Amino acid sequence: MTRAAAPPRPTEPDGPRQVSKFEFNLLRILRFMVGHFPADQGMQLVRAPVTRPECLSAGAVDLIKDTLSKACILFLVKQGAWRNDKYLRENTPAPGRVWERIPLEERSLFFSKPVLEFLLWATAEKVNDTKAGWDAIPQSLTAADELFFWLAFDATRADPDLLNVLRRKDVFRLNPLCWLTCPGDMVEGDEISLPDFAPMFEGQRAVLLECLQPHLTHRWIRSERMKGQLGDWKRMRQQGRAEFAALQAFLNAAAEAKRTDLARFVLRTNAALFTSELTPVFWTGGLQGSGPPRLADRLDTQRSALAVPRQMAMLEGWQQQAVNIGYFDEGYQASQMWKTDWEAANGNRVAARARATVEMLEPLRGPVGGTPTAGGPATPTDNPEGSPG
Amino acid sequence: MSRAYRITVKESDTRHLKAGDEICTQLEILEILPPEDMATLLKEELKKRGFEEQEDGTMLRKDGELTVKVDPCSGEVSVKAETEETVSQEAKRDATGFNDVGPSEKSLRDRVKDQLKTDLDKKFEQEQSRLQNKATEQLEKHLTEIQPEISEVVNQVTREALKQKAQQMGTVKEISEDAESGSLTIKVEV
Repeated sequence: MTRAAAPPRPTEPDGPRQVSKFEFNLLRILRFMVGHFPADQGMQLVRAPVTRPECLSAGAVDLIKDTLSKACILFLVKQGAWRNDKYLRENTPAPGRVWERIPLEERSLFFSKPVLEFLLWATAEKVNDTKAGWDAIPQSLTAADELFFWLAFDATRADPDLLNVLRRKDVFRLNPLCWLTCPGDMVEGDEISLPDFAPMFEGQRAVLLECLQPHLTHRWIRSERMKGQLGDWKRMRQQGRAEFAALQAFLNAAAEAKRTDLARFVLRTNAALFTSELTPVFWTGGLQGSGPPRLADRLDTQRSALAVPRQMAMLEGWQQQAVNIGYFDEGYQASQMWKTDWEAANGNRVAARARATVEMLEPLRGPVGGTPTAGGPATPTDNPEGSPG
Repeated sequence: MSRAYRITVKESDTRHLKAGDEICTQLEILEILPPEDMATLLKEELKKRGFEEQEDGTMLRKDGELTVKVDPCSGEVSVKAETEETVSQEAKRDATGFNDVGPSEKSLRDRVKDQLKTDLDKKFEQEQSRLQNKATEQLEKHLTEIQPEISEVVNQVTREALKQKAQQMGTVKEISEDAESGSLTIKVEV
């Protein structure tokens, strides 16, 4: 069911189209980046140079367009667009699947020139070792471009060489979706340079975020559960700091845009983690050795590891605001929706558990004469051998 | 005829090394009274325990090489350990040269001097690391010692705040405190 008629589709050719070797590689790289081609073979193609032709054939261009449109839509639908859900539209909850809530013109994806240029570059060059620089101006990208570049980054980031090259390019470095899904991979050192998250809550980018809510929840839960396996203190600190900074900036932008519904994944991730009471060891138990010599650095690493539970403080503030909004106040319906989400996630209990976990790390807390907390000397029950403290 | 000779080079250096460690955390102060009143209560309690007020409004106490600083307005507390030492180190190396073929005495001596410089740097790095461990150990020890005191401060401030709040609510009829259990009962006639 759509609110506008779908545009006419070009007629399909009778048989398979003829493409050159370069075009064949380009199409396979594209399919790899949108998750329709085996990753190991795709990585090999990205790492191998092929002589670039002067132009692409019309058949290849059609296939690129076809793959982009179908794969991206399929991805979004599979990740959550199919769900009969409720999101804010002009400050009022709108129920239904994404094609029932959003008119066609607002959900049609438009890919621009940088996508094709990137694909040509990635096919022609040995991406991990090339002198031919390629980049695009992030401000010129459409929402669909950002979606594609995020998918491309996500597909290639498993290879450290490719990750090192790609994350330095503005098109990825300033892509909010990359920061929202894998902030730990976006930083090289302690310096964090965040993109502007405000545009994510407007127009088509907000629609994409609606579609991606279940995907984001799933990713963050997986990432949090995997933190317990992380052994390197420095890596944990970098990842945690990047996660904390990215989520804080995202939540601030969501509050500013009055789209708290688009931060559901943060609430749901915490709800999934705090089904029972947890200690910081859940996150930091895998850290190897005694860590940095300075207590300040050890404490900072441990605090960083708990980047996601620490976001509950802000969500609790939102709940407090929502409770105080009266029937005749502006934003009543939006606040009711947030309260429903909060109750469904058992927000009060989750927030209390998250707070308790975060406070376990804080030194100088606890009863008189009590055992010192994880920031100071370790308590045997809280920390296994080799873990922080 | 080739003759071997040995040269011995000695280098010594004295450096002033500093190391420090610091933790910052937030005190759990309940909002029983307005923040400024809670800050005043906290300030008074800290003064009783030897903290001195600074120009910026923070309360500071020095316990030897350790400094405890509390911001009564924000409830932020920082404990800092600093240690410094003047360390002298000496390094010695031998090298063999030949009077006919091979490096000249000057180049040999220069090379040994460079090696000695690296040796000295390594020794000072070890000393720096030792000093750092000392500062961190001091901080950890002090945290264990200071935690009961900080908890007592927070409890005392909470008790005083509750008493003041009760006075604001009506006439206080009875106050009973149990030091063992830490309970405080206030009967108020409204």
